[in-house]
Amino acid sequence: MRGHFRLTLAVAAGALSVSSAVLAQDGATVTGRVTSEAGAPLASASVFIDGLNIGALTREDGVYSFVVPAARVQGQAATLTARLLGYKASTVPITLAAGTISQDFRLAPNPLRLGEVVVTGAGTVTQAEKLGNVRNSVEAAEIVKSNEPNVVQALAAKAPNVEVTQSSGEPGASSYIRIRGQRTVTGGAQPLFVVDGVPMDNSSFSTSNFNPIDELGTGEISGTTQNNRAVDLNPGDIESVEILKGPAAGAIYGARAGQGVVLITTKKGRAGLTRYSWRSSLAIDDVAKTYPLQRRYGQGRFGASALPCDDINKASCFRSWGPDLQAAGRPAFDHSDEAYDTGTTWDNTMTVSGGSDRTTFYLSLGRTDQTGVFIGPNNEFKRSTVRLNASHRLTDRLTVSGNVSYADTRGEFIHRGNNVNGLQLALLRTPPDFNNFPYLDPVTGLHRSFRLQNPSPLSGSDSRGFDNPIFVLFEPLNTAKVGRAFGNVNAEWLPSTWLKVSYTLGGDYATDERLEGAPQASSDVSAGGRITEGTITNFELDHNLAGTATWTLSPSIAGTVTLGQNLSISNNRQLSVVGRTLVAPRPYKLSNTVNRDLPTDVETNIHRESYFGQLTVDLFDQLYLTGALRNDGSSTFGADDQRNWFPKGSVAWTFSNYLGEQPWVTFGKLRVAYGEAGTEPLPYFTSPIYNSGSILLTPISQGTGLSPSQGGRGGLYTWIVKAADRLLPERTKEFETGFDLGLYRDKADVSFTFYNAITQDVILLTPLSPSTGYFVQPQNSAEFRNRGYEVALNLRPITTSDFSWDVGLQWARNQSLVTQLDAATFIPLDGTNTLTPYSVAMEGHPVGVFYDFGWVKCGLSPNGMDAAVNGVDLATLCAGQPDGALYIAANGFPVADPNRRVLADPNPDWTGSVRSGFRFKKWEVSGLVDIRHGGDIHNGTRSALYSYGTHKDTEQRAVCDGDTCTGNEKTFGRGGWFDGPVVGPGAGTAVAIGENWYRQGLGAGVFAGNSDGFFEDGSYVKLRELSLGYTLDTEWVRRTLGLTSLDLRVAGRNLKTWTDYTGYDPETNLGGAIQNTRGMDYFNMPQTRSFVFTVNLNR
Amino acid sequence: MRRFLSIALGGLLIASASGCTDFLTKEGVGSDKDPNNPREATRDQLFVAAQAAQFGMQEANIGMMACLFTQQCGGVGGRFVQFRGWYFITETDANGEFIQTYGGGGLLDLRTIQEISEEDGDRVYAGVAKILEAMIIGLTADVFGDIPYRQAAQTGVIEQPEFDPQAQVYADVQALLTEAIADIQSGAGDGPAAVFDLVHRADFDKWVEAAYTLKARFYLHTVEQPNNGVSLTAYQNAITAANNGISSPENDFRAFHGSATSERNIWYQFSQTTFGQDMVAGKALVDIMRARNDPRLDDYFGLNANGGYGGYDAPTDGPADQDEISPFTGSLRNVPNFRQPLITWEENQLILAEAKLMTSGIAAAQPHLDAVRAQYDLLPVPATLENIILEKYVALFQNIEVWNDYKRTCFPRLIPVPDADFGHGFGDEIPGRLFYGSTELNANPNTPSTASQLANGGVAGGRPGVGGFRNPNDPNACP
Repeated sequence: MRGHFRLTLAVAAGALSVSSAVLAQDGATVTGRVTSEAGAPLASASVFIDGLNIGALTREDGVYSFVVPAARVQGQAATLTARLLGYKASTVPITLAAGTISQDFRLAPNPLRLGEVVVTGAGTVTQAEKLGNVRNSVEAAEIVKSNEPNVVQALAAKAPNVEVTQSSGEPGASSYIRIRGQRTVTGGAQPLFVVDGVPMDNSSFSTSNFNPIDELGTGEISGTTQNNRAVDLNPGDIESVEILKGPAAGAIYGARAGQGVVLITTKKGRAGLTRYSWRSSLAIDDVAKTYPLQRRYGQGRFGASALPCDDINKASCFRSWGPDLQAAGRPAFDHSDEAYDTGTTWDNTMTVSGGSDRTTFYLSLGRTDQTGVFIGPNNEFKRSTVRLNASHRLTDRLTVSGNVSYADTRGEFIHRGNNVNGLQLALLRTPPDFNNFPYLDPVTGLHRSFRLQNPSPLSGSDSRGFDNPIFVLFEPLNTAKVGRAFGNVNAEWLPSTWLKVSYTLGGDYATDERLEGAPQASSDVSAGGRITEGTITNFELDHNLAGTATWTLSPSIAGTVTLGQNLSISNNRQLSVVGRTLVAPRPYKLSNTVNRDLPTDVETNIHRESYFGQLTVDLFDQLYLTGALRNDGSSTFGADDQRNWFPKGSVAWTFSNYLGEQPWVTFGKLRVAYGEAGTEPLPYFTSPIYNSGSILLTPISQGTGLSPSQGGRGGLYTWIVKAADRLLPERTKEFETGFDLGLYRDKADVSFTFYNAITQDVILLTPLSPSTGYFVQPQNSAEFRNRGYEVALNLRPITTSDFSWDVGLQWARNQSLVTQLDAATFIPLDGTNTLTPYSVAMEGHPVGVFYDFGWVKCGLSPNGMDAAVNGVDLATLCAGQPDGALYIAANGFPVADPNRRVLADPNPDWTGSVRSGFRFKKWEVSGLVDIRHGGDIHNGTRSALYSYGTHKDTEQRAVCDGDTCTGNEKTFGRGGWFDGPVVGPGAGTAVAIGENWYRQGLGAGVFAGNSDGFFEDGSYVKLRELSLGYTLDTEWVRRTLGLTSLDLRVAGRNLKTWTDYTGYDPETNLGGAIQNTRGMDYFNMPQTRSFVFTVNLNR
Repeated sequence: MRRFLSIALGGLLIASASGCTDFLTKEGVGSDKDPNNPREATRDQLFVAAQAAQFGMQEANIGMMACLFTQQCGGVGGRFVQFRGWYFITETDANGEFIQTYGGGGLLDLRTIQEISEEDGDRVYAGVAKILEAMIIGLTADVFGDIPYRQAAQTGVIEQPEFDPQAQVYADVQALLTEAIADIQSGAGDGPAAVFDLVHRADFDKWVEAAYTLKARFYLHTVEQPNNGVSLTAYQNAITAANNGISSPENDFRAFHGSATSERNIWYQFSQTTFGQDMVAGKALVDIMRARNDPRLDDYFGLNANGGYGGYDAPTDGPADQDEISPFTGSLRNVPNFRQPLITWEENQLILAEAKLMTSGIAAAQPHLDAVRAQYDLLPVPATLENIILEKYVALFQNIEVWNDYKRTCFPRLIPVPDADFGHGFGDEIPGRLFYGSTELNANPNTPSTASQLANGGVAGGRPGVGGFRNPNDPNACP
């Protein structure tokens, strides 16, 4: 298949080069070389004749060449301009006559990128120095250097306050992006993605949620990993990314910009020689860290072996509180390492681009083949992409263009998380004396697990308690197959010199076919085998019409007026069926099941109709005013509030133009901006309904529940969610101010920003008294505040032709606060409410704090609380004690507090990054370090493994015989054992710590209904990128290989993480990119690191 | 060309701006109306769902907790189950029950059924719905004591319902049952068609019998008086009601279940889940049944690994040898379509036995106890209160009523689980109630505080500071 693609490409490329050769027969040939001031050749610089729109890009050696057709060569005077991002444009006059015109350029650096055109959304553009907001842009080279197949992950550590969290190192794992804190609960807390002017779906969906009966909508914490749909974009096609951080910048997107907007521009072709490039990279991936497990004590309880374990009901077989294996001379297996191998990622992108004076094109083919780090065949991610961006100038005033891409994305995933069919849960809980290999019994050929070690033929399709982790890697099949076409057609019309009309019609159509195939001998509710099949069809259409008029009152007063209209449709449909009990072991097909659940058939349709306008005023070349207003209508707003206004205004003052150039401050700008934008309500929040889905499930009774339809007769019940009477979009009002300075002849620049964003009308599923008959109602009932600072500092100490060195530092802080929460004490952020500790919004706390039962502590537990410790008045006991002093009961142990309280905060205190690049002649070294300071993670894995007795910490254990324990004595509050102040009758009492604490006591964490003691600091310093590159562009390369240049690069990705977090990696999240909860670790998959080898050929 | 284009573009603008006036409101395409779920429901549809809800309510969480508390069942290994057996209960345990009692499938929809029926003049249908209402509200009062009722399920009018005293709720429920019986006996209307009546297939005489037994059951819940006195009036009322109660085992009120995934018995479903193996036979019940060689052992429990029957003993967390403990799997009941008995002839007979014992003496009670035991070829035993309640304890396996009986009579003589390790337990005493759901507490300021729930009902209980943790109808601690 891949070979076939290449052939096609070669033919296409050949055809295109013939056509450009034909054009080259007449007219003037303009040629030359573009270099930096220091003399280094500059590649990809655009050289063009103003007004004629004819030009070309330079090759890697800086050479450009293009032909002006004879018909347009009349010996006239013209200007030739060379332009490159990061350099000041240079314009020279030429006389356009037949023959060859030679013109070289030396471009001065422009680190502040002044004069550069900045895309600001919805068809509007401005120039960098006129922006009233902080600008955060990411260039193609930075995206490519990250070696991430997922464009969202490639944005990690690229801009202050842009937090990116990859859910794990699995192939295709989703990445979650959050800008300047969380501003919503029910809506998506991630920014809107816009590609070439058209919104692009970046949603995630867990296949397990196609099974509402078994999963209750908790698939994201218990199913397989999911892609975030932006992964369908080939990062190699990206020219640049502009991040509009909040409403102050992105208000032009109205009710969809509350969480910011990520504007992606894809690469375009330029007139001139046809250019070819082929980039090929191989990444070798491995697990960054294995889990600390003990290998000393075997399966059992109270020091006694549990064997034989051939009954999954036998409780003593569950855990590793058995005999000392070393003393008994029995073998112990290392489960921490046995499931992993090295993974590989092949990434190839081939591009052909070029064009003539009227027509340009960019064609790319990409293929990514990623095989995960797990042993076994079923973890991979494959993406094939093709993109054609083409443009044709019909007349001097009308240009039509199209950006079309198709992606075929396929993945095979492993179950993970809170899931007895998941890898980590089974792997890390396996007692060290059980060998997981072979996972099929050599005699019966049946699935063997540590709770059913010798399956008999009669137990063929019974539950195994937990699946054997190796079985998990080899037998189930979980796939996603996505076909996605997205792109747009665009017409740009210039009816007069001062008016530009731009029309874009964009579409995004994807079908996503999902399968979860659980084999017959699976554990739990999938025992007997289970097939979940479903299809998601997502269709978005976006129509954007904008007209921009440029006006000039006097030489010092000018500006633009933009008016526009936007219509959009989002249509999502899901159809799925769950089949139970496989007839034959294979295939994993619905038709191969004994019975089927009721199908799920859900669609959502959103229509939006919006109008917008923007006025810019430029005064005296130094004061730039922008005002914009958008009126949004959406079908989600409800009939009474179908239209809403979103304004914005900003002022930028380039005071260096007023002061004149200073020796130290070469550029200075002050900026102030204010904007309002929103988050749409979820559709149908205002529509009262009856439900026919499963009801009746309560904590203890797990199961599939009862359908309201019984005995062949349809049943309906009033849905527990009361429809909203009226609902406004969530509205974030953001004020932003700051300055940008260029210092000491652009050797350094610094940028500072302060913002304050108040989000009003946050929509919550507000709890109602269940005794009213309803559980919750969507209401505009909360207010959040996010306030913070962002600092960026770039230094360029050395810039010579052979030698350059630059350093970039970023620092950001976001402080989140729930300022108002009506009608409830707290709101859990995960809709299904199944995760403990709860991650909640609670007045007076940051969004997402962990709320759960803790241990009784002074100042934190309610005073005088008989409810916490019977008969103890904490107020008296805690008098004069520091807050947080731990209460120790007479038996020497802490006591659980039956009142929930806020225990931890997953939001980081600050985030930052350090980037540096060093170039010596053809050599280049660069690195990127990502820093996160603070932010707690709930290490639920550790708490479960304490209970299971497999965690490394439990290797130090007292000997327990059921009632009494001896040895391993610890005193709470000292000696490295929960160090800190203690109070109470048992303070200072040494107690034996073993099964009594870890399994039967509060050491069991969430297993004891309590998560105190399992919050860990999630700070990290991560070496995201490190690369060494060499560019070959010698004569030999040109002559022998026929290339302009050859780049060789060796890089590392996530090579090292410095952290105190004891789990796999502090960059993790159970809910992936679906849930708005952060900092949850419960049998999450590990992260990976990679060594990447890249060859880049250019011609 | 240029002119053509300007017209075309201008036309597009106008068309898109004004052409689709219903762009934001067109149903099924772009409106705020949910295209995925029905927006109307018929009385029959609500009735089918309300019955399913009732079955789930009786069999699921509360049924299982009652089974664990009374040591008919044992919780082993799993945190959810074992902790309940150790009285590790919190305010989140009963959130589901609260919405189920009052919301869709519960009071809200049952009231709608009654309204529609009364408008149609179908008093029979209304009567049946009232019986379901009495059943679910009575149960909620049993479990929580004071509950919202008179102001409940009136959203839009009352957003924070007040909590009615438990005695008043019982009185209201008795009145409702009286009304229901009168409605059905009026013969006005057809009532639900047989296909929609999952319990009695439109045999409304059986509904009336169930209503009477239910009345008798709820009268028993009011007999206990402070200082171990009893209300003879309540016993008399129970006899009067039970005399018209379920007249034969064929008329038992049983949940409907089928073999389809969504119709399976909840106990069976539970046994099939991750935590299914965590709930096993309770030693207290198995020992009683083994001692008298009760023929229902294989009905209730599966064989243990040693090929016999045994149960888990929560108070001692034993036996250490798991092979002695019987699971539910393998029992005759543990099949998907087992129709769980909810109100039975046996219960009715044993109510009569107890009430007659207390009002007329042992001779009057004896025939009722004998009749029940004769079903299983068990020899007669004297109709003492302990023997009657023990018989009920065996007969009403998995029925929440066993917990209510224990709270009143302290029979069978169970040993409570000693104070659990986690500090949430109510060690030393079997809980007499559950906490109100945290969701109600979170949204309704009328909800009694945690502290007052702990102190609620009766005299101070087992531990200093905890109070009774019982309801007003349960004023006496067990010895």
